[in-house]
Amino acid sequence: MPHIEVDGKRIEVNEEGFLAHPEEWNEETARLLAKAEEGLEALTAEHWAVVRFIREYYMEKNLAPMVRKMCQATGFPLMKIYDLFPSGPAKGACKVAGLPKPDGCV
Amino acid sequence: MKEGRLRTYEPGDNVQRFLDLLGRRITRSLAVSMTACVHCGLCAESCHYFLARPDDPTMAPVWKADQIRKIFKKYIDWTGRVAPWWVKAGSLRDDEDLNRLKNIVFGSCSACRRCTYNCPMGVDTGLLVRFTRGLLTELGIVPEGVFNVSRDQWETGNQMAVTEQDYLETLEWMRDEVRTELGTASVDIPVDKPDCEVLYTINPREIKFDPRSIAHAAKVFHAAGESWTLPKWGWDQTNFGLFSGDDKLGAYVARNVYEAAERLRAKRIVISECGHGYRSTRWEGYNWADYDQKLPTESVVVTLKRYLGEGRIAVDPSRNPDAVTFHDSCNIARSGDLVEEPRWVLRRVCTDFREMFPNRRENFCCTGGGGLLSMAEYRPLRLEVAKIKAEQLRATGAKLVCTMCHNCVDGLNDVIKHYKLPMRVVQVLELVSNALVVPGRNETKKTAR
Ligand code: SF4
Ligand code: SF4
Ligand code: SF4
Repeated sequence: MPHIEVDGKRIEVNEEGFLAHPEEWNEETARLLAKAEEGLEALTAEHWAVVRFIREYYMEKNLAPMVRKMCQATGFPLMKIYDLFPSGPAKGACKVAGLPKPDGCV
Repeated sequence: MKEGRLRTYEPGDNVQRFLDLLGRRITRSLAVSMTACVHCGLCAESCHYFLARPDDPTMAPVWKADQIRKIFKKYIDWTGRVAPWWVKAGSLRDDEDLNRLKNIVFGSCSACRRCTYNCPMGVDTGLLVRFTRGLLTELGIVPEGVFNVSRDQWETGNQMAVTEQDYLETLEWMRDEVRTELGTASVDIPVDKPDCEVLYTINPREIKFDPRSIAHAAKVFHAAGESWTLPKWGWDQTNFGLFSGDDKLGAYVARNVYEAAERLRAKRIVISECGHGYRSTRWEGYNWADYDQKLPTESVVVTLKRYLGEGRIAVDPSRNPDAVTFHDSCNIARSGDLVEEPRWVLRRVCTDFREMFPNRRENFCCTGGGGLLSMAEYRPLRLEVAKIKAEQLRATGAKLVCTMCHNCVDGLNDVIKHYKLPMRVVQVLELVSNALVVPGRNETKKTAR
């Protein structure tokens, strides 16, 4: 199983760097994923607003929310999501929120 | 869901089923590719898998194709039946062998057809690979990602299972964004409007994760004074049938688009920037769906070129001052014959356009082709062989790499991230939208990146 190592901790991920066991996600994992995969040294309140929403949506519907929903829930304009997560909503934000890789051409 | 179209794996005599299908489906042109190879090895040098792993014979296109050829020779071709040892015919024993075949045709080939383009005998290895994928798909022996996306496309009409409500809401949202940006309520993103000049079709990824491109398109259509619409149904121009080799899925998805154009009496179909969608909708789909092509079907880049050529939109290239290079998508250049148009546009909307080498029909794949982006299990090999692409990109010294394919955007982003290249990926619409001079608008305002 591939894994990443950050701050002396080891996280199991899939080949794409998405959490191998999405159910094992916690805030510490989010912080580590953000650092390793998105190059983010710290998560701000704005990052957390997006991540928490995605997480809740996923727990409820077992589905990644579309970016429209992320913006609606947080009140952020579209560009803000790309500013916060360099790899974008799917490979950035959803990854930090511990979701499995979304299906399709992404 | 269309009845029984998506096959799930069932244990049983899959080898026999595979051979039956092979015998039934083989065509004249495939038979030529099965038999014409003289094993000169020239194709090896054209494949990024082999170039990155020159000591591994299993990476050569001819080896990959031989795994299919061996089966064909043993069971179908008379030379193999009469003298199997002579033509090196191989046998297929069990599901384990089929699985191995799956890993070859899905996992070690991005179906980019660069080898095909470089074969002196006209052997179409890309076609052989797709054909074999199709046989395996029929048995449900496919990578999970391909299965899931195909299922969504069968069941919902689009590959990301976007609901109609989500689709419409996102379009309204983007309409409002462009209205705010341009400061006018006259901008619209019409849905299901009859008798338009243009029926615009998109990639579900644009709705679900990256609607910026829809806003860019709306802005340009507005500036050009175009009469255009998106359809409420039949808007997904991507087509996983191309990747899975399933012509029936290919036909279903393409037909949805063609019928939308007919229903709305549009004058032409315009396809947003997507390589495999372009190839499927513009070229392959009419055959898969057995549909008579009455309307012109074009890439939005061709539309942009027309607007610029006819003076329908004005641009200021100094707004795109960074060095831009262009990545030809395999499905657009090699397999779609669209080569000079994007360059023509880029030279007008940027100040520093530079080619990468090789380019045009000889360009290397972004490495994510053939649906590989949806198959996580093959990613380590994909990124390893992406070394070739990374070197090619780095040599340009460009800050931006432009491509007219959403799939290539993600493929290239993976390469850039993995090899730490100081580059960003953009698309043609984004650069045109950036450079667009909209009359009466406060021009000091920066447009969305
Ligand atoms: S270049 Fe053509 S003929 Fe030569 S080995 Fe490759 S497929 Fe066969
Ligand atoms: S189609 Fe492309 S990836 Fe596949 S064998 Fe040929 S050159 Fe290699
Ligand atoms: S993803 Fe892009 S470069 Fe790769 S095969 Fe498709 S069109 Fe080609």
